[in-house]
Amino acid sequence: MFSRPLSARAALLAGVLVALCELVPAQPRPNAVNTLPRTADGKPNLQGIWQVRSRAAYDLQDHAARQGMPAGRGVVEGGEIPYQPWAAVKKLENFATRQTADPLNKCFMPGVPRIMYMEFPFHIFQTPEHVAITFEWSQVHRLIYTNGKPALHEGFESWMGSSRGHWEGDTLVVSVTDHNDKTWLDMAGDFHSDALKVTERYTLLDADTIQYEATLEDSKVFTKPWKISVALIRQKNVDRILEYQCQAEAEEAAGLFERDPRTWYPAPGSPMQAKAAMPAPGTLPPVKTGTNLRRTADGKPDLSGYYQSQGGGANYGLERRGREFVMTPTTQGVVIDPADRLLPYQPWARAERVERELPHHGYDDPTAHCFVAGIPRSTYVPSPMQILQPPGYVVILHERMSWRQIPLDGRPHIPDNVRLWQGDSVGHWEGDTLVVDTTNMNGKTWLNEVGDVMSHAAHIVEQFIPVGPEKIIYRATVTDPIAYTRPWTIEIPMDRQQEELLEVACHEDNGDLQHLKDVRDEFRAKQPQAK
Amino acid sequence: MRIKLLASTFVLATLIAGNALAHHSFTAEFDQNKPVKLEGKVIEMNWANPHAWIYLEVMKDGKPVKWSLETGAANALIRRGWKKTDLPAGTILKVDAWQARNGSNTGNVSSVIFADGRRLFAGSSNESAPKQ
Repeated sequence: MFSRPLSARAALLAGVLVALCELVPAQPRPNAVNTLPRTADGKPNLQGIWQVRSRAAYDLQDHAARQGMPAGRGVVEGGEIPYQPWAAVKKLENFATRQTADPLNKCFMPGVPRIMYMEFPFHIFQTPEHVAITFEWSQVHRLIYTNGKPALHEGFESWMGSSRGHWEGDTLVVSVTDHNDKTWLDMAGDFHSDALKVTERYTLLDADTIQYEATLEDSKVFTKPWKISVALIRQKNVDRILEYQCQAEAEEAAGLFERDPRTWYPAPGSPMQAKAAMPAPGTLPPVKTGTNLRRTADGKPDLSGYYQSQGGGANYGLERRGREFVMTPTTQGVVIDPADRLLPYQPWARAERVERELPHHGYDDPTAHCFVAGIPRSTYVPSPMQILQPPGYVVILHERMSWRQIPLDGRPHIPDNVRLWQGDSVGHWEGDTLVVDTTNMNGKTWLNEVGDVMSHAAHIVEQFIPVGPEKIIYRATVTDPIAYTRPWTIEIPMDRQQEELLEVACHEDNGDLQHLKDVRDEFRAKQPQAK
Repeated sequence: MRIKLLASTFVLATLIAGNALAHHSFTAEFDQNKPVKLEGKVIEMNWANPHAWIYLEVMKDGKPVKWSLETGAANALIRRGWKKTDLPAGTILKVDAWQARNGSNTGNVSSVIFADGRRLFAGSSNESAPKQ
C-alpha cells in the first residue's frame, strides 16, 4: 500500500474519472503536428507539470478490485507480462505479501518506470543538454543527459537507474540502465532484476498529452521484451508541485520524529509578533561579478553545472570556533554578518543550540533521519548539486535526493499556511546575480549537525554571485524573528566541476539512526524529565 | 592480529576534517577519544546508503570478533577510486576508525590499508577530506 491513508485514497479515487488504458499510437495527432510547443532549438517542448492518467500504479495488467485497489485495465501491450516460469511464481508470492513487501511501503525510491505512472505529479524541465524531472513524491529527481556523452560512472547501480536520452524525430528516447534489483513495477508485485534495461519513449500527442511508452528487457526475469504505454496529462490547474516526503511523514506519524513547538509551524505561543522588531540586515561589501562569465542564449550568466560547495565546515557549525575536535577543525566559520562571526541568537535559541549539540540530541537532527536538509543547509551539506537553467527557471538537483525549482517569472509565494521542507523559492536576476527569496519553511530543519537553530518564520534571501566561469560566491541572509535578534548572513564559495550526480538513497540502510536513538533513549531513561 | 586503542589523535585524522559524517552527528554516535586500529579479515562489504559498511573479523584473545565499520556513502567511495571488487571476503585489511560511544564493536572508518600498503580514504565528498 501507499503511505497515504486508505480513506484519503478512496476519497481521491472516488473523485477521479475511471481512466481506462488508452493504447494510442505514439504519433502526434494529425491536427496537432504544427501546434506542438517547441523549444528554441526546435525540439518538442515537454516542460511543464504532468501526471499519469491510468491505474497502472496498482497493477500493470488487467485486474479486479481489492481493498485499496480499484479495478483497472492493463497497460501492457499484449496484455500479459512474459515472465519466466520461476518469475511467475515469484510474482504471485509478491502479490500475496504486497501489503508488507512492496518497497514503496518503506518509502524506497520507486525506480523507473514505476515513478512515471504513480499518482503524483512531476515537473519536466528541458535544456539543450538535459531533461530533468522533479517528482512531488519524496522530492526524487531524474537527470536525463541528452548531450550524447557516455555516463561517467557506468555500473553504479541505483534505485532510479542511469538515464541517457536522445531525440528520434519528435520523440525523446531514454535508455535507463544500472537499476538495482529492489524496486517493483507496481503495487501488485510485478518485478525485475538488476539486468533490467528500460527504453522510454516520450511523444507529445498534443500540447497537453505525452504518450509515455516503456519497453522492459530483463533476460533474468522475462522471456522477451515487453512494452507498456500510458498517457501523461499536463496539469494546468497548478503552477508548482509541492512535496510528499514519504519517510518523514511516516516517521512523524509513528512518533519517531518529534515535534519542536518552538520552531515548527504552526507554533502555538511562538513570538510571531517579534517580526516587526527585526532590524534590517547589515550592509556588506558587494562581491564583484566576473567579466568572463559563461552566458545563456538570453544573455544571463550560465550557472548550469555540477557544483560542490566549499562549505568551510558549515554543516558542523556556522560560527567561528576554536574547539579542538578532529572532525571540526578551528575555523573562522561562514558567518560574515555580524562582524564578530557569531550568530545573533535570542537567549532561548542560544541555549537550545548548546543543548542540541549534546550526543543525545544527535537523533533529533532531521538529516540523521535522511530527511531533506532545508534552505540554506542544502547548499553546504557535504554533498554536490546540479544547477540547471531551463527557460523561466533555475532548478537545483541535490545529490542527497531533493530538489529546488526556482521560478523567475515574478510570481508570488504560495499561501502562508502551506509549509515545506525546502520552503517556497522564487527568484530574479539583479544584474548578473541570481537572487532567490525563500519563505514557507516548515521549521523542522536544523542548520547543521550541531543544531544551529532556524524556525518556520525564517525568510531567506540567497545570492548566487558568479565571480568567474567556474565559481559562484553564495550568500544567504536569514531573517528569523523567532530565533534571532537581527538578520545574519553566511558566505560560501561553490566550485563547478566536471562530474555527474550519483544517487544517494539515504534511508535505505540507515543503521546510524538506531545507534543515535539508543544514545537518546539511554539518556532519557536516566533523566525522565529531560526533553 | 590485534586491537589497539590509541591515546592520542591520529595524524591522519587531522587530514580528514569533516569527513564521512555527511548526514548525522559524528560526536553523537562515535567517540573521538576512542580511535581504534584494527587488523582483520573482511567478512563482507555492504555498498549501502547513507554509508557503506565493512564487516571485519578481528581476532581478540584468540577468538574472532566481528566489527561493523562505517564508511562514506557508496557514491563518495566511487569518486575516491574504490571499486566494488576492492574488498572481497577474506581480504586482509588494516583499518583506522573511531569506536562507537556505546562501546559496541562499531566504528567510523577514516582509512583502510591493504596488505600491499595501498591506502583508501573512506570519507564523504566533503571538500576538506583528502582525495586518495
